[in-house]
Amino acid sequence: MITPAPISVRGLTKRYGTTAALSDLSLEVPRGSIYGLLGTNGAGKTTTFRCLLGLLRPSSGAALLLGLAPGPQVFERVAYVPEQCALYDWMRGSEVLEMTRVAHRSFDALRARELTERFRLDVRKRVKHLSKGQKTALALVAAFAARPEVLVLDEPASGLDPVHQRDVLDLIIDAAAGGVTVLLSSHQIGQVERAVDRVTILDRGRVVLEGELDALKQEEKIVEAVFDHEPPALDAFARDGRVRSLVQNGRVVRLYARAEGETIAREIGALGPKSTRVLDQNLEDLFLLAVGRSE
Amino acid sequence: MPAFFTIDPRSGVPIYLQIIEQVKRSVALGVLDVGEQLPTVKQLAKELTVNPNTVARAYRDLEHDGVIETSPGRGSFVRANGAPGAARRAVAEVAASAVEGAVREAKSLGLTRRELRELVDHALDRWYPEHDVLKEGESNR
Repeated sequence: MITPAPISVRGLTKRYGTTAALSDLSLEVPRGSIYGLLGTNGAGKTTTFRCLLGLLRPSSGAALLLGLAPGPQVFERVAYVPEQCALYDWMRGSEVLEMTRVAHRSFDALRARELTERFRLDVRKRVKHLSKGQKTALALVAAFAARPEVLVLDEPASGLDPVHQRDVLDLIIDAAAGGVTVLLSSHQIGQVERAVDRVTILDRGRVVLEGELDALKQEEKIVEAVFDHEPPALDAFARDGRVRSLVQNGRVVRLYARAEGETIAREIGALGPKSTRVLDQNLEDLFLLAVGRSE
Repeated sequence: MPAFFTIDPRSGVPIYLQIIEQVKRSVALGVLDVGEQLPTVKQLAKELTVNPNTVARAYRDLEHDGVIETSPGRGSFVRANGAPGAARRAVAEVAASAVEGAVREAKSLGLTRRELRELVDHALDRWYPEHDVLKEGESNR
């Protein structure tokens, strides 16, 4: 029997009346890998998480954790840190951890103490007396101490200072190295860029870019050509399957290539520009471009 | 491990390629000795705060290139067999891509071949002032 991917989403769609909060999202996260879900606010990230955790019923499609539909046998093997902290206000930090221990057979009390110290958390305090960052830290301590097989983290660094943001990243990487499967959303693109194997970029419920991060960086290039005269007609390039879009600004032409940037640069070089160059793009460039493109 | 690796995750260059380049550079410079053990995938991933699969991919490629060898359960080591050759090739590779980049940039700025050659000669005089035919013959042997 083939083991199902720990996180599997197929054709996931969530409609509210006529508006789709999420349209036809599919993704698979293999064991021990880290998957990034990026998007502006309202792009559909939290909707995806809520469907995975069974907090929201999809209009169509399926979201499975460990090959199973949401249910008690799944939840004890999964930890979820929502963007909006869902802890009971009246509970003390220690009670939140105790509740987590009861819910997860794999809970590691030693780990919980270690992480509590690392995040300088006072577990005697009630949740309502914690700052936003401390609430986030408490939710993270509970999640990582639970030693789950799958971690679902929605904006796990919100409210944390840069030092503790890096701690979260260390924990995520350490968990993945130990075989934990992670689905992560974050507005901190730099964090995502360090950690993830694959990314999906969502915009208003639709996938606008998806792929292995290294492959995207290798394939997605900007080819820029500067002519010292009016550029020749470049319609053929605009229609080329290798080109996402073509932007002309006077005598400067930019082609956004999805593949074969070097070859395209040579081809356009044959049309006699004064110069051509191929520019790399980092994840932030790719993100802004993908989200802007779908405007 | 005596080598320091620095990666720039925000670069458009994939992280695994940055790791490969730095290991090759360290081997070429002798910062990593023949037979020396590299950190495990897990250790390096933690140290650089990058995805473990990315490090694993870099190690696989380095092994394929003959720079390191991995024995299951023991770890990854700078390859002894033919390592000087592989290291020499690695240096040449690193240098070649730097030269390639510089030439490409010069061309994109519209320099002619002759203008570029002048610049290269100038740089050579600056960095290789002890230019000596006899010495070069020796190091080629």
